[in-house]
Amino acid sequence: MQHDRRKFLKSSGIALSVIVSGEILRVSPRSAQAAALPYQVLTEEEVATLQGLAEAIVPGAREAGVSHYIDKQLGAAAEDCLLMLKYLGVPFADFIGFYRGGLHSAGRLARLRFSLPWPALSADQAQTLLVEMNGDTDIEWDGPPAPFFFFVLRADASDVVYGTEQGFDQIGMPYMAHIEPAQAW
Amino acid sequence: MQRISTEEVFDVLVVGSGAAGSVIAAQMARAGKRVLVLESGPARQMSDLISSQIWARRLKWSGAPVEEAGNLPIGHNFNAGWGSGGSALHQFAVWPRLHENDFKLKSDYGKGLDWPIEYDDLRPYYDKVQAEVGISGDATAEKWRPPGQKYPMAPLPVFAQGRLIDKGFVARGMTTAPIPLAINSEVYRGRKACLYDGWCDAGCPIGALANPLATYLTWAVEAGAEIRNEATVVKVLHDTSGRTATGVEYCDADGARHRVHASTVVLAAFAVQNARLLLASASERHPQGLSNKNDLVGRYLMTHPANSIYGIFNDETQPHLGATGGQLINHDHYSQKEKGKAFGSYQWLIANALKPNDLLGIANTRPDIYGAALDDFMRKAATHMGNMVFVGEDLALAENRIELSEHKDDYGVPLARATHNIQDSTAALAEAAVAEGLAVFKAAGAADPWAGPRIGMHIMGGTVMGEHAASSVTNQYGRLHELDNVFIAGPGLFPSSGAVNPTFTIHALAMRTADHILGNDTPSNSSPGQ
Ligand SMILES: Cc1cc2nc3c(=O)[nH]c(=O)nc-3n(C[C@H](O)[C@H](O)[C@H](O)COP(=O)(O)OP(=O)(O)OC[C@H]3O[C@@H](n4cnc5c(N)ncnc54)[C@H](O)[C@@H]3O)c2cc1C
Ligand code: SF4
Repeated sequence: MQHDRRKFLKSSGIALSVIVSGEILRVSPRSAQAAALPYQVLTEEEVATLQGLAEAIVPGAREAGVSHYIDKQLGAAAEDCLLMLKYLGVPFADFIGFYRGGLHSAGRLARLRFSLPWPALSADQAQTLLVEMNGDTDIEWDGPPAPFFFFVLRADASDVVYGTEQGFDQIGMPYMAHIEPAQAW
Repeated sequence: MQRISTEEVFDVLVVGSGAAGSVIAAQMARAGKRVLVLESGPARQMSDLISSQIWARRLKWSGAPVEEAGNLPIGHNFNAGWGSGGSALHQFAVWPRLHENDFKLKSDYGKGLDWPIEYDDLRPYYDKVQAEVGISGDATAEKWRPPGQKYPMAPLPVFAQGRLIDKGFVARGMTTAPIPLAINSEVYRGRKACLYDGWCDAGCPIGALANPLATYLTWAVEAGAEIRNEATVVKVLHDTSGRTATGVEYCDADGARHRVHASTVVLAAFAVQNARLLLASASERHPQGLSNKNDLVGRYLMTHPANSIYGIFNDETQPHLGATGGQLINHDHYSQKEKGKAFGSYQWLIANALKPNDLLGIANTRPDIYGAALDDFMRKAATHMGNMVFVGEDLALAENRIELSEHKDDYGVPLARATHNIQDSTAALAEAAVAEGLAVFKAAGAADPWAGPRIGMHIMGGTVMGEHAASSVTNQYGRLHELDNVFIAGPGLFPSSGAVNPTFTIHALAMRTADHILGNDTPSNSSPGQ
């Protein structure tokens, strides 16, 4: 079963594949975001928290499709997964639990402090929570350590915002590809 | 357990298709041997090396997880690759030689272990590999360089970033030289020249960088070796005496088990997996693991402590230009290992090409910057950032080791657990170097330089070579002390880490092992040194 899945994922190539009414669509996460395509792993609430949080950390991450990026990678086989978490000492089998744990804790923190979900926080409120996540004082948190989760999410969001040809362009760095990626990820 | 199928016979089995395995496979196949390379990861082509730090992550280790502990974990999944070419497929090709004072740590300094060979034993092999592969550099400018043939190619150019940082070294009375790179500065033996675009970490698809697909793995196939991908070796098999290996057992992508036989078995699955494989191959004759009577398999695990120094300069640095490995090198303090409280050699790799994202990318150099401030930082850094990397010597300590975990992988093989702690003298070496690096950057004109965290770079040890079975796992050619036809290849053999990147030495050692297996103990094709 596991191997069949791996083969399917391999053959599904590099585009983000979404099954809509029996047809497989291949789209980039940025367009998946724009077209509001369905998620495969994350729940609606997790997506909302992820988008709010990632946008506060790296402005532009939401529009660049951070939630579709992470959702797609969490559904991939280990060898196809492109998340940086891959080399940060977390076993692949724990990836979904890692993101879920962090997102649930972050969502709870926002509700506890401001009685709001992440997307509804003001910029100042979001920044207050980010400082808390990175600080030394104990916060109500039971996912992966808050600063580590922050670091990983910041890296993921930097990937989608700055790690693409568009992102290089945005900061004035020539891309100079040998082989251009057919899709950003 | 699934049924075991197929029983093929080869002359030589090589486990792993990375730096070491591909050299062995090429040399054996060139000598007319029937060679099978078993590689756990997928088949890769040059065309898979997409220029993207995101896509590059497919090249990283995706086999059985490694459990890690210690004050400087070895960072296995960052430091290890998977699939044709192994980690060497996306190595940066910084290829300095070990120095003469790296070989006798125990005799000369009363620390760590001695190699069973000297620099002079490796020198002809360095020269031979260098001629085949091509290295760009300036041997004369490297005033610290041990004797050997000059580099066959002129160095790569130095760009604005390198020139700026160099001023800091000069101001502090230090010396830099062009970095020796296994990257072509001109067309070399039919392989293309570098374009200085800094995509080395994603893999160089044009063949300018000496990755195994550009060199020995392809040469092995051309000479008749077979590479079998998605073939994970789970056990080394031996005869009833326990002295002779008969072959290996491997699992294919569907989990089916196969046995293949050969008169020589070479384990080149990188430091951690080689040790794991020996330990997991325990049998009645070798109850503690293969060739582990003295409980030495897995011990003396090492990683180079490394820190990056960063700074923003007033002048433009063009940090996207050049090779990922850097533009310049400094070994000024290499020869003097005893430095008061600190111990060890170290080097600076200077002016590495940068990309915006990934672990070593611009964004992650300042995890404390986020929100609205991040974009300003990224824009400024993309044109004005400079960086360099300290690489320090680690000490071979018996308590730093790979053991088997109680957890198992999909094939029922216990996972590796890797424990690595550095001593105070190594930490002191890193701290002093970071202070020096910050001072160099200030002298070069960076207003507020900063240092990244200490990380483990490269993995060595675990199956160390030595004179005696009582203190080592293999002899000087990498042959296991307790089996007559099983060889280890790769950095696991190193009894000391030195402070240089290991892959040139891995190639030289593997070449020497290959010559020995073929009964040719003086290197062929070697030309006299200068
Ligand atoms: C990002 C990066 C940059 C680097 N830059 C440099 C540099 O500039 N200079 C330098 O000198 N070094 C560099 N290195 C280090 C260098 O790549 C390694 O030291 C070198 O590749 C190790 O050689 P090896 O043959 O022992 O292992 P590898 O090259 O890793 O090959 C081992 C192979 O064995 C396979 N394998 C593992 N277990 C099994 C099994 N059970 N069965 C079958 N196959 C198995 C693996 O999949 C892998 O393909 C770098 C490494 C990385 C990750
Ligand atoms: S910088 Fe040179 S060696 Fe590196 S990827 Fe580009 S062409 Fe290849």
